[in-house]
Amino acid sequence: MLHGLLWQLNSEITRRCLEHPFVRGLADGTLEREVFKRYVAQDAFFLRTFLRAYALAAAKSDDLEQVRLFHQLMAGVVDELKLHAGYAAKLGIDLGHVEPYPATSAYTNFLLRIAWHGSLAEIVAAMVPCMRLYTFLGSELSGSLRPEHPYEDWIKTYSSDDFRAPARQLESLLDNVAVDCPTGRDAYRYAMQCELDFFSAPMEVPP
Amino acid sequence: MREFEQSTLIVRAGDLWSQATKAQFLSAIRDGNLPQEAFSRWLAQDYLFARGATTFLAVTIAKTPRPAQKVLISGLTALDLELDWFEENAQKRGLDLNVAPHQTCRRYVDFLVASAYSQPFEVLLAILYGAEVSYLCAWSALEATGPYAEFIHRWSNAQFVEYVRQLLRLCEQYPHADQQAQFNEVLRHERDFWRMTWEG
Repeated sequence: MLHGLLWQLNSEITRRCLEHPFVRGLADGTLEREVFKRYVAQDAFFLRTFLRAYALAAAKSDDLEQVRLFHQLMAGVVDELKLHAGYAAKLGIDLGHVEPYPATSAYTNFLLRIAWHGSLAEIVAAMVPCMRLYTFLGSELSGSLRPEHPYEDWIKTYSSDDFRAPARQLESLLDNVAVDCPTGRDAYRYAMQCELDFFSAPMEVPP
Repeated sequence: MREFEQSTLIVRAGDLWSQATKAQFLSAIRDGNLPQEAFSRWLAQDYLFARGATTFLAVTIAKTPRPAQKVLISGLTALDLELDWFEENAQKRGLDLNVAPHQTCRRYVDFLVASAYSQPFEVLLAILYGAEVSYLCAWSALEATGPYAEFIHRWSNAQFVEYVRQLLRLCEQYPHADQQAQFNEVLRHERDFWRMTWEG
């Protein structure tokens, strides 16, 4: 299966994501609150682009079942944004005026270029890494949960069946619409690299 | 280059302007000590950039009203000839243009193509002007002599100056509140691109 092959081929980057200080901090709860707030703001900005990419993917499909899936996936992103809105209200983050970091712009410009200009297969290859990586991180981090864990909501969201199911559906779609080719491998790999850089950015910006 | 450097877009860009137009790569050409490795990297990555810019320009032309199209179409024709020129130059020097895009080049091209589809044409004019005027002013600071005379001349000749002048006129003719922010973004990409040619 293509989705399994691509995940395997990028195991080095996903391992680095899991071992990233940002993710370690989420796991043990020591991540600085200010760093997390910056991350939430950037992630909300990113998700709005992710939503547009699904919409453009739907526009490029003439298969009603695929369009239905993209419709569901878009609803999933809208739900995910509620988690961000919840954090924003609780932690005092202004999600209305987010200035994207270079790492965020790099990722959103990449997604927008592929979504507008690429094929359906390329778009899906560029979008799977985000979904699959967060499922993986959620599952890996679920063992770290304890009472009063400061990042319990985040870990529970991404380890839930509600998040795992759409990630699996998107991977199945990848297997259906894409074949193993250099452009697909490249889109997947670059998106995964963007995920890694995304974790670094909020830790590098001075408060 | 004063006529350009006095334009509002450049004045309001502040320090970004000099960061985007002064580079160790260019100083090394002037001083005659440019490493071959840096030149090869620049040639291949600038070629990949020009290919991305072709996509950007084609989409931009499609969104631009008729009176402004002529200038952009002439720019696209020039870009096509430039791609030929890159290919011939690389062949002559035995350099491989079939390389992976550097992350910095990739970010710039992704920015251009994503913008072409999602920004209004007035903003796209400012993006195009930013890319061209910064290249014009960067190369024009060098005297077109020595082993790289052909390259310096390509981005400092009178015809290119006239093209950039027409782009500036279009930006002024079709103003938009977001022009400055996206012009500045181009300058950041130009700055990073020059750094990449030197540092790898």
